[in-house]
Amino acid sequence: MTNKRKSKWGKAILFFIMLIPAFIAVFPLAALLLASFKPSTELMRFGLNVYPQFELWSLDNYIYLFTDGNIYFHWFKNSLIISLFSTILALIFSSMVGYSLAMYRFRGQNVILFLVLLIMMIPFEIMMLPLFRMMIELGAVNTYTGVILPMIVHPLTIFFFRQFALGLPDDLMDAARIDGCSEYGIFARIMVPLMKPAYGAMGILLALFSWNNFLWPLVVLRTKEMLTLPIGLAGLLTPYGNNYDILIAGSVLTVLPIIILFIFAQKYFISSLTAGAIKG
Amino acid sequence: MNKILKLGLTMLLLLSLVLAGCSSKNEPSSNNASEGESNDGSEHQELKFWTFQGLHVEFFEDAAKSWNEMYPDRQINFVAESFPYDEMHNNLLLALQSGVGAPDIVDIEINRFPNFLKGDIQLEPLNNIVEPEIDSFVKSRLDVYAADGNYYGAPTHVGASVAFYNTELFEAAGVSPDDIKTWDDFVEIGKVIKSKTDKPMTAVFTNGFWSFYPMISQKGSDIFDPNGEVILDNQDNVEVLQFIHDMVYKDEIAVLAPGGRHDSEEFFAFMNSGGAAALIMPSWYASRFVEHMPDQSRNFVMKPMPAWEEGGFRSAGMGGTGTAVTKQAKDVELAKDFLAHAKLTKEANIKIWTILGFDPPRHDVWDAPELREANKFTEYFGDGLFDMLIDIKDEINPLNITENTPLARDLIESNVLFNVLREKNQTPEEALKQAADELRSR
Amino acid sequence: MIGSTPSFYPNLVKGGSFLKPNTVNISSNSTIKNTRRTLKNLFYSKKIAPYVFVFPFILIFCGFYLYPVITTIIMSFYDILPGQTKFVGLENYKRLFNPTFYKALYNTSIYTLWTIVILIPIPLLFAVILNSKIMKGKTFFRACLFIPALTSTIVAGVIFRLLFSESETAFANSFIMFFGLDPITWRQSGPAIMFLMVSLATWRWMGVNMIYFLTGLQNIPKEMYEAAEIDGANMINKFWHITIPFLKPVTVYVLTITLFAGYKMFEEAYVFWEVNSPGNISLTLVGYLYKEGFQYNQLGYGSAIGVSLLIIVAILGFIQLQLTGTFRKKGGN
Repeated sequence: MTNKRKSKWGKAILFFIMLIPAFIAVFPLAALLLASFKPSTELMRFGLNVYPQFELWSLDNYIYLFTDGNIYFHWFKNSLIISLFSTILALIFSSMVGYSLAMYRFRGQNVILFLVLLIMMIPFEIMMLPLFRMMIELGAVNTYTGVILPMIVHPLTIFFFRQFALGLPDDLMDAARIDGCSEYGIFARIMVPLMKPAYGAMGILLALFSWNNFLWPLVVLRTKEMLTLPIGLAGLLTPYGNNYDILIAGSVLTVLPIIILFIFAQKYFISSLTAGAIKG
Repeated sequence: MNKILKLGLTMLLLLSLVLAGCSSKNEPSSNNASEGESNDGSEHQELKFWTFQGLHVEFFEDAAKSWNEMYPDRQINFVAESFPYDEMHNNLLLALQSGVGAPDIVDIEINRFPNFLKGDIQLEPLNNIVEPEIDSFVKSRLDVYAADGNYYGAPTHVGASVAFYNTELFEAAGVSPDDIKTWDDFVEIGKVIKSKTDKPMTAVFTNGFWSFYPMISQKGSDIFDPNGEVILDNQDNVEVLQFIHDMVYKDEIAVLAPGGRHDSEEFFAFMNSGGAAALIMPSWYASRFVEHMPDQSRNFVMKPMPAWEEGGFRSAGMGGTGTAVTKQAKDVELAKDFLAHAKLTKEANIKIWTILGFDPPRHDVWDAPELREANKFTEYFGDGLFDMLIDIKDEINPLNITENTPLARDLIESNVLFNVLREKNQTPEEALKQAADELRSR
Repeated sequence: MIGSTPSFYPNLVKGGSFLKPNTVNISSNSTIKNTRRTLKNLFYSKKIAPYVFVFPFILIFCGFYLYPVITTIIMSFYDILPGQTKFVGLENYKRLFNPTFYKALYNTSIYTLWTIVILIPIPLLFAVILNSKIMKGKTFFRACLFIPALTSTIVAGVIFRLLFSESETAFANSFIMFFGLDPITWRQSGPAIMFLMVSLATWRWMGVNMIYFLTGLQNIPKEMYEAAEIDGANMINKFWHITIPFLKPVTVYVLTITLFAGYKMFEEAYVFWEVNSPGNISLTLVGYLYKEGFQYNQLGYGSAIGVSLLIIVAILGFIQLQLTGTFRKKGGN
């Protein structure tokens, strides 16, 4: 009896505690959405505030964005294709590496781990000039390939899979080997399903990273039609002063598709994170 | 076995899709562009242009159209690409440094221009198109993009610094902008306005040098001397900085600009609500008034700057974008001729006003009728803008731009002004000396 | 922690078409057949498999990372201008010993410290809360906390700039004025801007780190908790003695990436002041690199800054990893 009472109180307390960070998380985006319907001079006058000011609402900012020759949709398509391929390829190849680092003992293993960690430390800016040159010589400028290729070995993903795989049982591998399963079979049939939570988590994060990626595509992509969403929108800013109308509306339109995607994908990806019963 | 094969095949398929996807995207999907490598002259030659200002794209595309009409045997296919400011300049740097990937024509902002005049200059000298027209130009605007007697950039505007006066506040205080001839007048009138309306006379920038630089330039001073020696800590500059400091803290007629910069959202809000009675900025700032401070329409007029003494200079030339031709241009002569058509002719300069709203660098168009037609600027500020500019056209000192100008500007903006005006932990003399020493050490 | 065999395991026993690695038949007379078989065996063997797995990585690494990094290291010993590259030895490195570099180092380190202190314990706590049985509305909270991560830093930065604008009607100032405090010039003061940058990072990455921890929580077998409960453990005991140790690999991961991300930080500072902040209050190491390398066209010096950054982070990173036992083999778990 007391247990039930206790957990009812517990539930309520936890719920209200978590409301605070949830609110803090969502509030700035709500403010952004509100602001996108107001003319930017309001923003100038009052900064970002919480007064809806319905009388000022209009779709002007969005209309402006879309009448610029449909270019927004090109950017959207480019971002979509690049993100999709980057994510899938990165997941496949990076998980392979992370998995082997955790589950096998082989020469050069620690060296590779070392290299992976090293890559994570390198800020992109210092590699820009040599990479730029290389892209031109490879003829990969202004192509999807040029943007996607370096993403295949994403060090964060590799490292994450390694950490995750450390928690997987070795004995499973031996048992499978005795029964005649090949190494690749073990990976594909046994371990990959076991690593579903990791794939789910990194899948979302990779897609996100790729969608918002700015610096690398900027080096590779040239023509207006090939740009991705973040670059295209940033280019709408004029340098001697910002054009907030377009910026705000454009920002909402960058975030919105991915929020919608996320809400739908949540069911498939995040559910795998809390289906803890796999480990039974 | 089957599953692994499937996996492998899927991977291969994905990879091949990606690779295939790339080659078909290689052609610019937009137009009938024949890759203009064929130089037999009758084909459309592709001319690639980079800029960081969307407005400039419109301007140049208009010029391309008129070029093609005028020269049917030298048609061009004009391709403009606009990138964010920092990224465009960085990409340009990388392209020129590595010898590949640069456009034919490019806009370079004045503060980054010195970067491209270092080492073996990768821009084409423009002397043969500039020199014939040079007498019609405000020469100092060509000099800022020059090195060793060669001109490398076609200027976009004069950027004459002016004073913007809020007539509403002036009237409320019973004074007129025309009462102000010198900086001393400025301070006196400022005190009157302050006491009658409780508003500050002006705002000074603590993270931007648009207050400081015009004021030292009109005095005949600069950051560097014509030989490139550092004179940032000379007596004139110290006096000017002290004067600015005193306006805020001694005479109390000036405030620190909210947001610190001329383009901060806070500053726009401040000015839009009538926060200050006067502002010293280059004339191109007029477009910001129109764009971001609409509530003050018809309340502001543009007048010459106050002089330091009777008969002193009342203006300075600030900001700017130089359009250059790179050494990687496929047809250098064609690029240069087009550039001349787009920026150096009389018609081009009239368009600089009508399309871009900037004060054109050719002073022989300043009395053209087109420049007197009503537009959104006359709507806001009243007529007679160019008459005023003609009045001060000979009162603009050249600027001495060197390799270290970008660094100098940053030091002034980040350290000197901040320390002297906001943090108040250094005297003008100390701050300027520190910055000057750092410059000398480079 | 031996789990019971997964349900699909029986399928493998059925399939008799695998090559059995430990029963390789070498007694065949045809040498070609032999070689082919040996190669096939080799490919499928336990020894080679890991190398096959990591091969694509090695390839791309050499092309896209090794080559640029080596080039950058070489560049750091030169003065680089178009057509005039001059070898200057250690000159660029000697230049590093100046106040601006120290300021950048200081800012970056403080920032990293704050993000480590805030962005590890709190997401961990949230993950545990959201994972517990008695929590209601898990999906809703998960989604809410994660949504900030969906924005790009630029967009988030714009939002924060506007929320924390100096004007009195902006949200932040109106909020603190409600409590009787004076409005703050957020962007223009040193401590305030550190607060802004850390807040921006926290807002964006809280959800992400939480997801990492949630994923790690999946690896913990339920029987452990059940067994502990039978033994009379309460919530705190369970947390301390089961949850925390099992989360160690993931925690190491989050700590590592937070450390690296902190030192590499550029965008969170860029959105507030680009590269020229008053008094260099928001200058980071990468910002310094960017300024010197691109704004002043000193690619050689910029490379030197980059290499020093790499060295600093490498030292810190490897100390951290050694201390947390990352390099021990499996079994050091």
